[in-house]
Amino acid sequence: MRLLVTGSAIRGLPVVTIHGGEDVAEIRDLIYNPEAGRVVGLTLNKRGFLSGRRREVLPAETIHAIGRDAVMVENEDSLTLPQDAPDEVGTSSERDVLGNEVLTEQGKSLGKVKDVVVLAGSAGEVVGYEIETESGGTGYIPLPTQLAVSGSALVVPDPTQDFVEADLVGLGAAVDEFRSRLGMK
Amino acid sequence: MSERFAAAVGRKLVSRASAEELGALTHIVADVSRNKVASLVMGKGRKAVLVDWDQVSGFGPDAVMVADENALYAPRDDRESAAADGKLDLIGQRVLSDMGESLGEASDIVFDPASGVLETLVIGEREVPATSILGAGSYAVVVKAPAE
Repeated sequence: MRLLVTGSAIRGLPVVTIHGGEDVAEIRDLIYNPEAGRVVGLTLNKRGFLSGRRREVLPAETIHAIGRDAVMVENEDSLTLPQDAPDEVGTSSERDVLGNEVLTEQGKSLGKVKDVVVLAGSAGEVVGYEIETESGGTGYIPLPTQLAVSGSALVVPDPTQDFVEADLVGLGAAVDEFRSRLGMK
Repeated sequence: MSERFAAAVGRKLVSRASAEELGALTHIVADVSRNKVASLVMGKGRKAVLVDWDQVSGFGPDAVMVADENALYAPRDDRESAAADGKLDLIGQRVLSDMGESLGEASDIVFDPASGVLETLVIGEREVPATSILGAGSYAVVVKAPAE
């Protein structure tokens, strides 16, 4: 059983320093690299209502853990100016998977990507997608660690269609079984 | 014998030198980096004063003995003012694990009245060792994520 959190739930979370116990910023958006299957960084807002964007970003290597209630960093030095962040943090934001069609290797459409699902407690490991199914409902699919992404569609292994879960709890229970069926760790 | 922050608040402070009652304990200020009680606060509002833990000669069940009246001091900076106001109190503070999960609200702290060493952080029904506290500030007390 894994604890999971959607991208939309991560937006707005406070960024809290482990050693200071202070809320130093809040999450504006995720910078996601679909090929790598992980969040490479997070963009930030100032804390509080109507306080606007912060220039600094959180590169993944400065993130201690993305949780359901807060994003934890060691200290305020984790907030990094864009020019000091790794290149992929600046370039990955273009490759947006939201709205992409999810196709199995056999050519069956499972729906369209609505959001990413992140492993809670990780620094941004994406383990699944929230999808809008063909029937218009919401489903959750697990992801292998690598997959083909074109910009308009992404191709997932055939067994994915047996793991379309109705909620995050179902997906949390399914991720490990899915990955072991694919022969992944 | 262990003491609890919540039970100790309200206890009288007495000068060991003059045997005079000085006032009532209102807040206990913890230094989580040293895992120890740092100071005590007596009184409220503009009359609040602090006394450092090393000036406390006995933390007893009926009274807290301090060396003498001169050990009491008014807040000297922003941090001490915040402490005197109870703004640095751990009790009532949100507790987060270092994995970013909320564990609830700190409800009490168990400590050793002889040494001032913090022993246990109480979060409702749950207790975690005080050594698992990683940091504390205006937003949260951060503790090492408890093992599953």
